Amino acid sequence: MSKFSWKAALRFGLRALSLVPVFFVGETCTNLTEVPHDALTPTTAFHTDQEILAGVAGVYAQMRRAEDNGHYATVQELSTDVLVVPTRGSDWYDNGQWLDIHKQTWSPNSSGALGFLTGSWNDLFSGVAKANLMIDVVSKTGAANKDSVVAEVRTLRAWYTYMLQDLFGGVPLVTTTELKSVARSTRPEVFAFLEKELTEAQANLPVKWPSASYGRVTKGVANAILASMYINAGVFNKACGPAACSAINPSAYNSCSGVAVTGGKDACQAAIDAANAVINSSGTGGATYQLNSNWFKNFTIDNKSSPENIFVVVHSNSPQAIGGDFPMRTLHYNQLSTGDGGPWNGWATTAEVYNQFPASDDRQKMWLQGQGYSFETGLAVNDRNGNPLNFTISIPDLNKANESNGVRFNKFPPQASPPKGSAQPNDYTWFRLAEMYLIRAEAENELGQTAAALADLNLIHQKHQPTAIAAGTKQAIRDAIYTERLLEFAGEGKRRTDMIRFGTFLSWTENSANGICGATPAASCPRAAYRVVFPISVNALGSNPLLVQNNGY
Amino acid sequence: MAWRRYFFPALVGGLLFSSPLRAQGTTGTIAGRVVDSASAQGIANVNIVIMGGQRGTLSREDGSFTMANVPTGSYTVRASRIGFRPQTQAAVVTAGATVSVQFTMTRQAAVLSEIVVTGYGTQRREAISGSVATVDADQANVGVVTNANQMLEARVAGVQLTQNNGDPGAGAQIRIRGGTSISASNDPLYVIDGVPLQNEATAPREGGAPYNNQLQRSPLNAINPNDIESITVLKDAAATAIYGSRGANGVVLITTKRGVRNGSGDMEYDAYVGAASAAKRLDLASGVQYRDFVQQQVNQYIADSLANKTVRGGLPVSSLTSLGTANTNWQDAILRTGIATNHNLAFSGGSPQTQYRASLNYFEQQGVVIGSGLKRYQGRLNANHDAFTGKLRLGLNLTASRVNNTYAPVENGGGFTGGLFTNVAIYNPTLPIKTGTGSFYEISGQTDVRNPVAMIHEITDRAPEDRVLGNATGTLSLSSNLTAQTTLGVDINNSVRQTYYPRSSPTASGAGGIARQADLSLNNQNFQQLLTYAPHLGKSELEVVGGYEYTHFDNRGFNAQSQGFITDQFGFNNLGSGTAATSPLPGSYEDESQLVSFFSRANYGWANKYFLTGVMRYDGSSRLAPGHRWESFPALSASWRLSEESFFKGGPFSNLSLRAGWGKQGNQAIRPYQTQLLLRTDNGAAYPFGGAVVTGLRAAQVGNTNLKWETATQTNLGFDYGLWRDRLTGSLEFYQKDTRDLLFEVPVPQPAVVATRFENIGSLRNRGVELSVDGELWRRGQRTISGGLIASIERNNVVSLGDTSRKPIQTGFVNGQGQSNQYSEIIAPGHPLGSFYAPRFLGVNNAGQQTFACSAATHPGAGCTNGVTTDPTDADRQFIGSANPDFTLGLHNNLTWGKIDASWLWRGEFGGKVFNNTALVYQTKSDAKQGRNFLAAALTDPDSISEPAKFSSRWIEDRTFVRLQNVTLGYTFDIPARLMSGRTARVYLSGDNLILLTKYKGLDPEVYSTDGDGGGIAVRGLDYVTYPRPRTYTFGVHFQF
Repeated sequence: MSKFSWKAALRFGLRALSLVPVFFVGETCTNLTEVPHDALTPTTAFHTDQEILAGVAGVYAQMRRAEDNGHYATVQELSTDVLVVPTRGSDWYDNGQWLDIHKQTWSPNSSGALGFLTGSWNDLFSGVAKANLMIDVVSKTGAANKDSVVAEVRTLRAWYTYMLQDLFGGVPLVTTTELKSVARSTRPEVFAFLEKELTEAQANLPVKWPSASYGRVTKGVANAILASMYINAGVFNKACGPAACSAINPSAYNSCSGVAVTGGKDACQAAIDAANAVINSSGTGGATYQLNSNWFKNFTIDNKSSPENIFVVVHSNSPQAIGGDFPMRTLHYNQLSTGDGGPWNGWATTAEVYNQFPASDDRQKMWLQGQGYSFETGLAVNDRNGNPLNFTISIPDLNKANESNGVRFNKFPPQASPPKGSAQPNDYTWFRLAEMYLIRAEAENELGQTAAALADLNLIHQKHQPTAIAAGTKQAIRDAIYTERLLEFAGEGKRRTDMIRFGTFLSWTENSANGICGATPAASCPRAAYRVVFPISVNALGSNPLLVQNNGY
Repeated sequence: MAWRRYFFPALVGGLLFSSPLRAQGTTGTIAGRVVDSASAQGIANVNIVIMGGQRGTLSREDGSFTMANVPTGSYTVRASRIGFRPQTQAAVVTAGATVSVQFTMTRQAAVLSEIVVTGYGTQRREAISGSVATVDADQANVGVVTNANQMLEARVAGVQLTQNNGDPGAGAQIRIRGGTSISASNDPLYVIDGVPLQNEATAPREGGAPYNNQLQRSPLNAINPNDIESITVLKDAAATAIYGSRGANGVVLITTKRGVRNGSGDMEYDAYVGAASAAKRLDLASGVQYRDFVQQQVNQYIADSLANKTVRGGLPVSSLTSLGTANTNWQDAILRTGIATNHNLAFSGGSPQTQYRASLNYFEQQGVVIGSGLKRYQGRLNANHDAFTGKLRLGLNLTASRVNNTYAPVENGGGFTGGLFTNVAIYNPTLPIKTGTGSFYEISGQTDVRNPVAMIHEITDRAPEDRVLGNATGTLSLSSNLTAQTTLGVDINNSVRQTYYPRSSPTASGAGGIARQADLSLNNQNFQQLLTYAPHLGKSELEVVGGYEYTHFDNRGFNAQSQGFITDQFGFNNLGSGTAATSPLPGSYEDESQLVSFFSRANYGWANKYFLTGVMRYDGSSRLAPGHRWESFPALSASWRLSEESFFKGGPFSNLSLRAGWGKQGNQAIRPYQTQLLLRTDNGAAYPFGGAVVTGLRAAQVGNTNLKWETATQTNLGFDYGLWRDRLTGSLEFYQKDTRDLLFEVPVPQPAVVATRFENIGSLRNRGVELSVDGELWRRGQRTISGGLIASIERNNVVSLGDTSRKPIQTGFVNGQGQSNQYSEIIAPGHPLGSFYAPRFLGVNNAGQQTFACSAATHPGAGCTNGVTTDPTDADRQFIGSANPDFTLGLHNNLTWGKIDASWLWRGEFGGKVFNNTALVYQTKSDAKQGRNFLAAALTDPDSISEPAKFSSRWIEDRTFVRLQNVTLGYTFDIPARLMSGRTARVYLSGDNLILLTKYKGLDPEVYSTDGDGGGIAVRGLDYVTYPRPRTYTFGVHFQF
């Protein structure tokens, strides 16, 4: 055996040197740059108009999440008397989340908050972040239509922010793409931000897009959002969030009158001005918007042609599955067959709401009551036991409903034999011209212009009922507007906001066993005042240490 | 100048062809023979090594061996082989001469193989200072073994292996020393003959219909277990740090069989046939029970109606109309006796220069569920050649396999509609399988409840996979103590998943038939350059390995779907004949990443008593953020063979060594591109302006430009012992593993394009004790009984989730109708992974409502009275224990009685919980309100028919089980020489999964029912409509010619 020697070590060293070429080859293989092949990055995207349009489409597409099962638009109805999802056996129990929202028992970590409120928080903010990204990259490009694209995306960002403050009160305001924790702004700060954004943006928006671009935001959209903000100024422009919501009256009407907005203008006057900007908007083909002579055509599968719709989520029954699934949520299993299984037989409305629709009002037909029919054959269908399906007005017990309990929502009637299962082509309506008249009526009434208010109200009312609403006190006209808004907008995501403004959100009742303040009322009836905003769910709270929970939760 | 001689050849031809010249006449040859002391016959495969060096060889079939080119000098030569007592002899090598060394070995009970593959080299067992366990493939390959994972079951302490389910070739959850990661993979690194295997699902996922979410089958199915010589499991950081960034979850080294020097030509034929049937079935209500129940509930409804109650109990009278007259056991109708057949032919041979082994395998396994199965056709060639008088050794390993997977439409998890097993559970048992006219019975107008028998017969779903695993190695002896080795390896897997839902199936009737094809291609190239220096240093021994490794991953996929066919005859073979323009658009993708490593290891030993190993690996991964891509993974370990000390001689210990080690390992097993903000053109971004769909771009993830390695440091302390002349051997180990910078998908502050992203957050600690004992229990001549026991205790604990304000992570999402947004587990600091978090079930009240514990202080609303609620909320949840066992045991015995042999393997896991999600969803009478069947146990429980299925501790059961995994009985006999020139033959009978002792009420407590896609992260112990585990009987033969 040879002994260790320095000579041997030297020999080893020299031999090891012979490996240098191999390692040298190795060094060229140490380049670890990662290049995605099937996706773009902000630096490789947005070089062409088409790429920019695709980015803008992505910001619009996020609105589908806002009207998705359990998100903004549906929480707006589910927390009120318009929508109830009773537990049907084990079906629709879902950890109690549907009834948690409906019965207003939510808390930061209740099932409804963890599911729906976390989802709404993330999805709406994702819309804000996607808009921020687009504004950032587009404003750096030399695109010819840069200003209008930025205005368009700012309007969408404002709409996402509007929905956020509606649910949660003051929220963080971020306009950069940086990912960081930001504290909440107050609700009046958010209000002022939205006013500024929408006012500035609408200057660069078109009055109307060519039909191929139908669905993109216009001046009318910005003004409609502003009108809605102003009419709600008695709520939206009041401190509410980490600070107590004491400026909002939970049990009486919260008027826009007396709330000063930008330029010292009274919010009610601002609402009238914004509504007028929409109502009086005109272009080459005459008035930009007109009330549809057939109200139902605002919601049918061909509602893209309705002149009344101002702002919609555009749907398609294309293979991309970018349609709406409203019919699926509510219809009975056997009323529609699709490639993806039948409808889900869940959603219904309360007897209290259905009974407010007089038989003389054609809008009652948006509900399905009594014998259910197939949307394919038009024939009466049976329930799953083979007996005639009969939708009942009352739901005897929310915890123990059967499959035919509850009147069904059919405002957005489905396409028979839809080519793509659950994806229906009906556009979902955020704002219609009818609402501009009713906002104007409400603001005029607050400012004491009762005659003008009554005229606007009856313009809508008499489309559906022969007898006009008679002149009355300010309060009587308020009440009439409140009822008219239910008949007109049920299912369009307005009810919770309306109820809070009218002071009824915490006191509505439901005469079902286990219903809210119903046959077996709970001790906490009516509900506590802090429930006019939702809590920030613990999931959302945990992601940002600067977030402070809403007062009362 | 001497350096030129080496530098230029290396530069020109690389190491493979550089042939350093050396003066002749300074080396000699050692040759000899090893014989059995009892039979005086030669012993094959004895490991012959020169002590103090790394030179070694194996004896040939007749016991002879030769080691050429041994530098002149005095040596101690050691012969060792499993089952024999090692022996040493002195030898003096003189120039140009052959010195003869003869060994006569005596048998002994021993379990440790002597030369152990340790990663980029081999080591003598006693020189290893890390924690390394080996599995003898012959012992572990019993019964129907589809892949190598099954050979690890209960054979290695500290390895917990849970087969996902009973699907043929099912994947497995394999945890070496517990899971150490939350979001990244917990799978170990598999290395086959030195080349890392790409451990990814090898077939595309199912698709086309909305209800499936199947677990993927094992990527190891392409490798024939019969070709495996041994499996080495590297457990601690000292052993795995040489694999650096990929070693954090342990490393499984698979060594395949190879030809022997001067083998006289050997041929082996193995075959078996097995019959499998479901070991247990769900106890569903029978047709008779269901019919009686509905009638009874209708009576209740009538009584309530007569009493004029507004809210009536029971079921409306109309429910009777849905009852049929049949009494169908849907479970029996989809299950069968699955036959498995295996044929394996291998031949090997060799000259002193060239050795080869080739094998052919045909394996077919039918699942116990009709329609599921797999077939494997595999060929394998392994060849070595010595050139230039042994200075250059060339090697080739090549495996080509075709695995034909067929799938039943089973689900893993699932909600509203579910797949085959959901429908088995709920389909009305009073309805027939077929109508009077012979077509499958379907409930009219129903699309969400489907005849399960129709499903398996109507839906075609298959995935052929082709895999080529190959590597070529050149080893060049640069001098007597310096060798260079170059390895090029490829792992290519191409598969095609083809699915057809015919027009007759309710799933596809609306669509007019759905056909889908999805392609998946995995490509992995590996290049390794090693330099090994092993000088002769007298009493001390030294080996230094330095190396470079480059791995390139490139995975691609493509899929297309079509529907609206005029006929079912095309199946998936003519997508273009579809008519409806409503199918999803075709899709394709590519993922590419690289891993680059430099590493070195030094082993030092002195006097066969003291050993020291140091490892340093420097890894760079493209999957991590620039600036964080490179990381060093060091390790240091030492061992002391106390039994070699003079003061220790004479005691009962024939061997006792103490090992200690520390090291750092990494984990980068996350998808590529996580560091970048990616914009994707998916359907979620498309928007139909004007009704025409505009392609949309949306940010699909928030990039994290600080993403870095998840690292684990592990400390290990071990004892290896041999008692009474190694009649009893084994080891005892203690370890602690701290994982830091956990790769973790966490919520980010809003606004963010996506609500979560991968961050390095938090830490996790695993601690454990592992014990193994092996010994010869009894011996009389040719009759022996030996046995072994392994025991492991593992505890893991989430130490922190980073920021203290971070909320515990919800996971283990509950499957089934009405269970949306319901989770069963949380990941919280101070608790192990797999911790169940649920409302505590108290009982059922007089109204038939379930009651749960609550605290009025935290329960929202007014529903909590005296600590009892019927409406549990998140605030009422408590920790209900975890899915982790307190300890696990494996016990195997081997018996030889002349020509008869027998073995059996018991294994058990003690303590821990399992969530019976199946019972939660189906053991509820409320299913009858929708005309759905339920588990018979619901008939006797006091819940009212209106009570929904509510997740609680009620469904979290004890997991403890003991399983008789395998029993094998064999008989070996000599084939008379005049017949086929045969030598020996063995016939055997084997049984798998024969006995399962457990209190668990579901199918099997050993279960993995959900995957990262749908069920959340780091989910453990969730059982939902699992593919039943089979009980298998096998008859096999083995011939050697």
